[in-house]
Amino acid sequence: MMEENVFILHPSEIIRKGLALILQEYFKMEITQLSSINDLNSFAAISNNLIIVIIQKGLVLPEETEERLRKNNQFNMVSLSASTDMEGVTEGYDYDLNVLASNLEIQKLIQVIRKSASKSKAATVENGDLTQREKDVIRQIALGLSNKEMADKLNISIHTVISHRKNITEKLNIKSISGLTVYAIMNNLLDISDINPEELI
Amino acid sequence: MKIFDKENKISSLVSTNSNLLPVINRFGIQLGFKEKTIAEICAEKNVNPDFFLAIVNTYTNENYFPEEELLEFSPLLLIDYLKTTHKYYNEYVLPKIERLLDAVMKTCRENCSSLKMISTFYQKFKVELHIHLTQEDEKVFPYIIDLYHNRRLTEGKTIGAYEDEHTSVEEKLSDLKNLAIKYLEPTYDSNAMNEFLQTLFQFEKDLYDHARIEDLILVKQVMRIEESLKTNAAR
Ligand SMILES: [Fe+2]
Ligand SMILES: [Fe+2]
Repeated sequence: MMEENVFILHPSEIIRKGLALILQEYFKMEITQLSSINDLNSFAAISNNLIIVIIQKGLVLPEETEERLRKNNQFNMVSLSASTDMEGVTEGYDYDLNVLASNLEIQKLIQVIRKSASKSKAATVENGDLTQREKDVIRQIALGLSNKEMADKLNISIHTVISHRKNITEKLNIKSISGLTVYAIMNNLLDISDINPEELI
Repeated sequence: MKIFDKENKISSLVSTNSNLLPVINRFGIQLGFKEKTIAEICAEKNVNPDFFLAIVNTYTNENYFPEEELLEFSPLLLIDYLKTTHKYYNEYVLPKIERLLDAVMKTCRENCSSLKMISTFYQKFKVELHIHLTQEDEKVFPYIIDLYHNRRLTEGKTIGAYEDEHTSVEEKLSDLKNLAIKYLEPTYDSNAMNEFLQTLFQFEKDLYDHARIEDLILVKQVMRIEESLKTNAAR
């Protein structure tokens, strides 16, 4: 899952807090309220997230920060204006939002942004139980074999071993070798007498 | 989430994020703040307010990273703070986690082998964490203090080579948590287990933020010193 970060940049505390309250009512997402655009510089290192910046119309972000955030994230800038005339999306922003917009319009906008973000990201995370081959690999990992030794023993290429390991970690969310060893024992893939528990590295 | 500044009341800081309580304790600041602002309490306790804000904001906002001008405080201040944190882990948090885990084990009547595996794994994690903390206390910090006072580079010594990666310790703690949540047979008392897990969660977060402060603030400061010494030497 891509993490979502919403920033509200506006000098008015009433607007910041109000908008944050509306968004929080419907979406469980991190909302950061900033009164000055330069405060965003402190967040320039974020990467691989969905970022939604809601900013007072007319304000421009520090160039370097915007560039970095755009390069490393799904980045969307929404202008927030008080004027009621329909002039379409202003240049430099991805979406426009009016302070008079209803809760519903605000929700819709966020959904549109989310959809476009999830579309551009290929969903490849696999789920479900381990395959027999993956169980074989875990057993060998727990016994302390290297990738090369495993490949020889199971008669598969090193490349395949590595890809099994990657899938295992994704499915179980267990990364360390000792963690996988404990998993193997707890799930009866291995008997505790096969290894020395003091040596769980 | 918001970024705190000097004019905020210290009480609002704690009510926004109660996890900051042990953090501000490390600065010698304790409850009973009355209406005092961060600036006032820092002046009273002789704490550099920029330093204080860099720490509490990094703890509160996962993606926050202090800007250059907020990194002007001395690395010695930061080292003092980090050492106090290590002491807090060694003398308070780890013994507490162990006590809670022991309490869980005592409630297990049968089929306790999985629980014993969790306990063994925890010991592994603890040993690795201990090695890491000791390495920082005995090697990394003294190197920085020496560099700061003597302003001299030593052949073959840089902060990059010294500071161990944090990922391995963090991975183990996260694995420990996942194993307990997903695969442990519930042959123990739930309340005891919940208390243990909650403490573990909180420690995971604390440790993660601690590592971020080291990686993002301390290492960066030291690299800056090393860079400037290198440029001077080249002249
Ligand atoms: Fe540390
Ligand atoms: Fe560390």
